[in-house]
Amino acid sequence: MWLGLPFRIPHSALRIGTMTQPTAIPIGRVVATEALPSSAHQFHFWTATDTAIGIGAIVRVDGPDGRVVHAVVVDARAYSDLMTPLHDVLAAEGDPAGAAAPTRRTEIRLWTANVLRQTPEEPVQPVPLSEVRLATADDVEVALRMDGYLRGERPSGIPVGLYSAGGVTSPIFVDADFLLGPESAHLNITGISGLATKTSAVEFLLSAIFQHFPAHKGRVAAVCFNVKGPDLCFLDQPAQLTEAEQDMYRQLEIDPQPFEKVSYYAPYRPDGVNLNTLRSCPELVGSVEPLTWGLREVLDYHEVLLNRDDVDAKADAFIDFLADRVVEKEFDDDWGGKHRVRSFSDLERLFRAIFDGLEGQGRSDMWRTHHIATIRKVRNRLLNISVRCKGLVTDDGGVSDLPFGAFEDRRVYVLDVAGMDQLGQDLVFTRVVSQLREHLERRDLGVEHVVVFVDELNKYAPQDGPETYVRKMLLDISERGRYLGLVLFGAQQFRSQVHRRVVGNAGTVVFGRMDLDELATPGYQVLSPATKLRLATLPKGELMVRHPHFTQPVFLRFPRPAVLNGRGGVERFPPSPDVSFADAVARQLAQLDRGIAPARVKDLIDGRREDDVRRALLATRRARPRPRDILGFFQSKLPAAVPRQNAERPGAGTHAVVRPLEDPYAD
Amino acid sequence: MPTEPLMNPVPTRARLREALRAMGASLSAGRLASNPIAPIQRPHAPAAMVEHDRIRAIPVRPLPPPPVVGFLDGIQRYSHEGNLGLVPVLRAHVAAMVQLREDGRLRVRAKVEKDFLVAPVARLTPAQRDRLMGLGLPVHESRAEEMVHPLVDRQRAVEEIERAREAIEHAAALQFVSDCPDFLLVVDGAIGEYPASWRAVGVAKSHETQFLSGPDLEVALTLPYGTRTSVFARTGSAGRKVHTWYLRLWPWEGEDLLYGLVRVERNADDESMAAATELSGWLLSERTPLSSPDGRWDRLLYPIHAVEESLRAQAGSWA
Ligand SMILES: Nc1ncnc2c1ncn2[C@@H]1O[C@H](COP(=O)(O)OP(=O)(O)OP(=O)(O)O)[C@@H](O)[C@H]1O
Ligand SMILES: [Mg+2]
Repeated sequence: MWLGLPFRIPHSALRIGTMTQPTAIPIGRVVATEALPSSAHQFHFWTATDTAIGIGAIVRVDGPDGRVVHAVVVDARAYSDLMTPLHDVLAAEGDPAGAAAPTRRTEIRLWTANVLRQTPEEPVQPVPLSEVRLATADDVEVALRMDGYLRGERPSGIPVGLYSAGGVTSPIFVDADFLLGPESAHLNITGISGLATKTSAVEFLLSAIFQHFPAHKGRVAAVCFNVKGPDLCFLDQPAQLTEAEQDMYRQLEIDPQPFEKVSYYAPYRPDGVNLNTLRSCPELVGSVEPLTWGLREVLDYHEVLLNRDDVDAKADAFIDFLADRVVEKEFDDDWGGKHRVRSFSDLERLFRAIFDGLEGQGRSDMWRTHHIATIRKVRNRLLNISVRCKGLVTDDGGVSDLPFGAFEDRRVYVLDVAGMDQLGQDLVFTRVVSQLREHLERRDLGVEHVVVFVDELNKYAPQDGPETYVRKMLLDISERGRYLGLVLFGAQQFRSQVHRRVVGNAGTVVFGRMDLDELATPGYQVLSPATKLRLATLPKGELMVRHPHFTQPVFLRFPRPAVLNGRGGVERFPPSPDVSFADAVARQLAQLDRGIAPARVKDLIDGRREDDVRRALLATRRARPRPRDILGFFQSKLPAAVPRQNAERPGAGTHAVVRPLEDPYAD
Repeated sequence: MPTEPLMNPVPTRARLREALRAMGASLSAGRLASNPIAPIQRPHAPAAMVEHDRIRAIPVRPLPPPPVVGFLDGIQRYSHEGNLGLVPVLRAHVAAMVQLREDGRLRVRAKVEKDFLVAPVARLTPAQRDRLMGLGLPVHESRAEEMVHPLVDRQRAVEEIERAREAIEHAAALQFVSDCPDFLLVVDGAIGEYPASWRAVGVAKSHETQFLSGPDLEVALTLPYGTRTSVFARTGSAGRKVHTWYLRLWPWEGEDLLYGLVRVERNADDESMAAATELSGWLLSERTPLSSPDGRWDRLLYPIHAVEESLRAQAGSWA
């Protein structure tokens, strides 16, 4: 049994033969002494030594005056009538191996329970010294105040798992109004790697939300940042579930199916044609959309690039100048050059013109009120990103992005950034979340609610360390997202390492198997030692959940997600090694039209600039409606053929930068 | 500096004990006390040798007890509620319980209890008697003497309460014996009142009545730890003969003569005599668990203690 106790029906229940309703029989009695009194929030009770309850079990006390108290067991003690350990030594004459005592001492199982709810709620009074019964499924509903949102005109329960104790199993629901706003929002999950089932719990929860989010609350989508290996790469593939797991799904009224609508996005590798994802198996890679941004997309989020240094108002001002006055505008440098900057290459041309101009001019270090050092710094930062995020940032302005404005109800958008470096991840994260935010503010995203899942939250919103733009943004979602429908689901191994205001604003908090050192940090002081021990030994698939409606945390169990996990995914769909430029292009076109022969594609692109090919390929992939003649369309997007001798060496594309930067951070 | 007294000095406690030891005494714990000792009702009673001609000490080794055994004990409580003129009226509660031990676990098998009033009924007016009887509790006659004496009158009433407790213990034992005739029943005290057909074992820990005398008594009361005496017989009420012997449960050196000393009683038959060493052996293993914090833990078997604790807990703050 999941409580960690062997499952046993209380003897009394067996004797009377009421196994279906074991709770009709008291299993314990409240005791109170001056030293250990019953209070309005906590009480103590004893049971037979042979009992089905354990830490986390929900119980019910009926007072003589009709008062009903529901509570959860948080601690337990056992002791005998032995006065002092010395008496045991004396009786055994100092020999622990001596003959066993013929009589077992009278002993007690003394439990401590924290009150979940009292009915009536007023006046608040100490728990009566009455009999204790195990909660029935109905009791669990009342105890956790779920009756308030499961019944009535507009139910808003989302199943999160099964509570079970003493033979009673009942589904636990959280309130959508408190999970996805507006009352409260956000979910945070903590626990040690591999055992806490954090990622799995979020996947399961997303299915629960998609299947149970009430229609009257509108449309909901999820944006998941895949930051670790193949974790979220197979959300559309079914998992093999056992009969027991399927039964759990039945009890939770969730259809154990993979996500029906999933969109995958991944940047390219530096070669600009192979996608940087572990979902690269030929069978699946066709469903991965490239994520490519141009200069404009990057410039708009230049704060991300600058936040690693001390914030520099001068650099900021110069970037603003570029964004407002230069990019995509006719622009005259002061030396007769005309520029229309659309890409990083264009930008580099402008910078060269400025530097050359200033040099020719002699002594001046200023250009249009900007110091040359600032200009150099900004140039280095911007061009640096085009190097480090070569597969994300296109040199030529080709953009392939999430469908902001056309988000679909119950669709998951997975951004696979696992293969990107930190700077690129920060940039993707910042831009995507900012876009979501802006669209939600304008109410034109396509859905009213978006769950943003960020794994390894400690990396993006650390408690310590410098103030970064990403962390500021996570704080902003945490504090204001619920009014917008922008909901953060965050996961991390150590909650204590995540910014206090980020975890503090999560309305729903979930714990899987925990590390004892982490449990010793101040954030867990409210938990009883027994609860901590249980957290430190939780098996896979069991969680402790805090939710605004639950006065006390509740232990529950959820089934493995119905989707293929990362490890299973790469086994079933092994990632394919990167292929040559020509093969990659041929393969991508073949995905659009199976009839296209690779040899024809290779002939067509032979001798052409890779940039041109990439641009044509992107245009073909993104053409809507999809062209009937894929190859013809592709060909039409290629510039007229150039003689071979003018072509660059294969593999040395000028995709992003004009020339490599020796020290990207040098001013 | 005063000089040493010339004559025999008053011995210090240490010197006294040293001298006693030198004379071959066994030294007691020497605890200080100031309470008078209550008068002993029946200091002596006759006995007959059974096992040997003279009492001897026989070594005993701890043995595992039988797997299933019953344990009986009883409690009494009373309060002096008032006086009708000089006639005392007491209210009493007596209860007895048998717990059966199986696999080391004790479970209640029989319980009998009774609440009643005690008064020298003969001294009441008919009207008083009717009023008392009408209260809904049985009224016991306390058998007081004719001469009124407030303390003696009360003592007689308390004696009646003790008799009632014995009766109730008897009733509990009867319940157990009719339910489980095959199991031994260990009772706290004597078994002289029980029919010989019951498989009762008495463990007496108060030694108010002495059955032996002379060297026999000395052997019995200075019995070394881990030995029993020869079996002898005493006569119970109604002329019933009972086999009995002493057994020392704990080393008594440095303590009193009676420390750790119990007197075991069995039916007077050949079987009980043959089994005296074996029975003593398992009583020896009953020393653990210790029945502390009870002050009589050196003689009180834990299961008997546990039965008594249950009775007390169930009587609660009887009032
Ligand atoms: N409900 C469940 N019951 C039993 N096992 C489960 C359940 N959910 C997930 N698991 C198993 O537990 C393992 C770890 O799950 P998961 O990857 O979700 O953990 P995690 O906490 O996200 O780990 P990490 O910190 O390494 O990312 C997986 O092998 C998965 O199959
Ligand atoms: Mg994970």
